[in-house]
Amino acid sequence: MEKKMLKPFPSIFRQITEAAKGLGLEENMASSSSSGLTFKLHPLFIVNISDHYTRIKSQSLPPPSTPHAASASNGATSDSSSPPQQPPPRVFGCVIGVQRGRTVEIFNSFELLYDPCTHSLDRAFLEKKQELYKKVFPNFYILGWYSTGSDAQESDMQIHRDLMDINESPLYVLLNPSINPAQKDLPVTIYESELHVIDGIPQLIFVQSSYTIETVEAERISIDHVAHLKPSDGGSAATQLAAHLTGIHSAIKMLNSRIRVLHHYLLAMQKGDIPCENSLLREVSSLLRRLPAIESEKFQDDFLMEYNDTLLISYLAMFTNCSSTMNELVDKFNTAYDRHSRRGGRSAFI
Amino acid sequence: MNLNMNSVETLVAQIHGLSGSISDINQLHSLLKQSEDLFQSESTRLAPLLTELDPFMHSLGYLYILDASTSAPISKEQASELVLSIARFINLCAAEQIRLAPDKFTSVCKRFKDQVMLLEDPMRGVAPMLTAIRKLQLSSEHLTTLHPDFLLLCLLAKCYKTGLSILEDDIFDVDQPRDFFLYCYYGAMICIGQKKFSKALELLHNVVTAPMSILNAIVVEAYKKYILVSLIHVGQFSISFPKYTSSVAQRNLKNFSQPYLELANSYGAGKISELELCVQAHNEKFEFDRNLGLVKQVVLCMYKRNIQRLTQTYLTLSLQDIANTVQLNSAKEAEMHVLQMIQDGEIYATINQKDGMVRFLEDPEQYWEKRIFCVDSTDVALEFCFRIMMLSRKLTDMDEQLSCDPLYLAKAGKERQRFDFDDFDSVPSSKFTI
Repeated sequence: MEKKMLKPFPSIFRQITEAAKGLGLEENMASSSSSGLTFKLHPLFIVNISDHYTRIKSQSLPPPSTPHAASASNGATSDSSSPPQQPPPRVFGCVIGVQRGRTVEIFNSFELLYDPCTHSLDRAFLEKKQELYKKVFPNFYILGWYSTGSDAQESDMQIHRDLMDINESPLYVLLNPSINPAQKDLPVTIYESELHVIDGIPQLIFVQSSYTIETVEAERISIDHVAHLKPSDGGSAATQLAAHLTGIHSAIKMLNSRIRVLHHYLLAMQKGDIPCENSLLREVSSLLRRLPAIESEKFQDDFLMEYNDTLLISYLAMFTNCSSTMNELVDKFNTAYDRHSRRGGRSAFI
Repeated sequence: MNLNMNSVETLVAQIHGLSGSISDINQLHSLLKQSEDLFQSESTRLAPLLTELDPFMHSLGYLYILDASTSAPISKEQASELVLSIARFINLCAAEQIRLAPDKFTSVCKRFKDQVMLLEDPMRGVAPMLTAIRKLQLSSEHLTTLHPDFLLLCLLAKCYKTGLSILEDDIFDVDQPRDFFLYCYYGAMICIGQKKFSKALELLHNVVTAPMSILNAIVVEAYKKYILVSLIHVGQFSISFPKYTSSVAQRNLKNFSQPYLELANSYGAGKISELELCVQAHNEKFEFDRNLGLVKQVVLCMYKRNIQRLTQTYLTLSLQDIANTVQLNSAKEAEMHVLQMIQDGEIYATINQKDGMVRFLEDPEQYWEKRIFCVDSTDVALEFCFRIMMLSRKLTDMDEQLSCDPLYLAKAGKERQRFDFDDFDSVPSSKFTI
C-alpha cells in the first residue's frame, strides 16, 4: 500500500524541490491573463493537493484479491488485477493566502467536500473551516479553490461563480495528477476568470496566468525532507547508500545543466549573437562571487582528509575486486591448460 | 644475373615511387614480399643500392634490402661498418613502415647484436637497441623479441640504468614465451646489480611461476637465484609454490637446486657457523653457477638480520655484546657492521664511541615514507585509483575471454560427470561459475 501511495509523490516532490531549490528561474507559462497580478505559490499547498488526491485515489481503489496478495507490494500487478479502471477521482478544496497590492501569494489550502448532485461545494463546512483558519492565521484570506484534472471543465465555472461572493475574483488552481515523466514543469495551472464578450454575450471564461514558486527556508527544508522519504523496506545499507548517492548525482547533474545554460548564454553574448544585457551580467557575476563558500585552512584539511579516505576505500575495493578476478582467472587457466594436474576425477582445488 | 640486377633496379625505382601514402606502402610491401627470392639471390650485390635509398622515407624497402644484404656471413673488418650502418638505419627509420615487417626488423637487429658482440663492444649497441625497441613496440606494454637482447647488451656493457628504464614498463602482450623468460631473467640480474632486490624478486618470481609445459634451463637458473634473492631481501624462503605455478615447475624444480635449498634451510636455522659450513660444502656448485657473489651477500645478510632482531629486544647494547650475540669476531667488526647499516638506512641507532654503547632509536620517518594517500597528494591517489581501474577492466576482459575458451569449457564440463550422484544439483548452469 505504502509504495502505491508514494508513487505520485516522488515526481511532484522532485519537481517542487528542484523548482524551489533552483535559481528562481521563472516558470514561463503561456500567459493570457490581463489582470496584471503576479502569483506566487508556496510549495506547501501544492503538496497538500497532491496528498489529498493520492489519498482519495488509493482509498477509492478496491483492495487487491487474495491470489494477488503475494504481489500486492508490486503496485503494477495489483492495479491490473483490480476491476476496470475508473476515471481518477477529482478532489476539491480551498486555497488561502495573502494578497498585497498586485501580488497574490498562496500559502495554504484545505479540503472541501464536493456534492456531485448539486455540483457545488459544501458551504457550511467551508465557512467553519474558514473560521478555524482565521483564528490561526489572521492574515490569510480565501483566495480561490483548487481541483485536479487535466483541463478546466464547464462545471467548474459553476463552483467558481459560487465562490465569487467570498472573493470577487477567485483563483482556480488545477493540478494535473497524471505522471508525465517527460514533462519538466510543474503540472499546476492557475486560472483566473475574466469577463469577455463572446458573440455579443458577456461571459466568464477561464484564462491562464503565470506564476512563480516562492519558498521560505523552513518550507524548503521540510519539503526536502518529505521528498526523500524512502519506502520502509529499503532498509539495507547498500540500497540506502545507493539512494543517497543517486540523489547527490541527480542534484549535481541539475547544477551542471544549469551552469551549462549560463555558460552557453555568456558565450553567445561574448560572440555577439545576443545583445549585451548588463543587469544579467551583474547577476551572474554576483552569483560567481558567492563561491567558494568557505575558505579556511581547517576546512581544506578536513576536506582533503575525507577525500583521501574515500579514494582509499575505493582503491581498496578495486584491489579486492582485482584479486578475486585474478583468483578466478588462475583457476580457469589451470583447469584449461595445465595438463598434468588432472589425474582423472576430482582434484584438490575444486 | 644481369637480368636479375635489372629487376632489382626496377624494384628500387618502385621503392622510390611507392613510399608515399599508406596504400602505396601496402602495395610496396606485397611487392617486396614477392621479390624475396630475388633479394636472396642477389644478396652480395645489394649493398651499394642502399646508398640510393633514404632510411626514413623508404624504410620498408631499405629494411628488405638491408636484411638480404646482411644475411651473408660477415667478416670482422666489415662488422664495424655494418654496425654503424645498421645503427644509423635504426635511428632514422620510420616506425610505421617497419611495423609492417616486424620479423625482418627483428632479424636485422639480432644480426646487429651479434656483430656488436663479435666486436666485443656491447656499449655501441645499447642506444640503438633501445631506439629499435621503442620503434617496434606497438604499445609500452608490448614485449618484443628485442627486449631480452637489449637487456643482455646492457648487462654485458654494465650500463644498468638504461636497462632499468625498460624494466619499469608493465608487460601485457608477449610475442614469444622464450622472450618473456629471458627478459625477466636478465632483468632480474640487472636489478640485482643495482641492488633493487624487490624488483629482482618480482621478476624472478614471474619466471618461476610462468606457465610452461616443459622445464627449461632459464627457469632452473632463475629458481636458484630466486632462492638467494629471497633470502637476501626477505630473510626467509618458503618452499611451497603459489597455486598459479605450473605443475611441471612444481614437481621438477626442486631436483635441480638441492644445494640452494640446503642453504635456505641452514639460513632459517639462524646460526652463522652452520651457514658458513653449508657455503663451504657447496662452494664449487655455487661457483659453477656463477652465484658465488650472491651467496656471499646471503651470509652478509645473515649478520644484518641478526643485528636487526636485536633492535627489537634491546634499547641499548654494548658493541661487545652485539659481537657475541651475532657471532662476530670482535667489537670492531660489530661497529663496522652497525655503521654500515646505519649508513644504508637499515637501522636507526647512535654509536657512542666513548663507552662502546649502541643506542637503538625509532625510525622518525616510519610512516611518512609509506604514505601515498596523504593530505597533499590527492593527485597521486587519483592516479593509483585510475591505474587499478584499468587493471580491473583488463582482468575482467581476460576472465571473460577465458570463460569462453573451448578448451576450458571442455575440461570444466568433463569434470562434472565424475561427481557422485548427490553432488549433482538441479541447476547445471551454476557449475560454470567457479
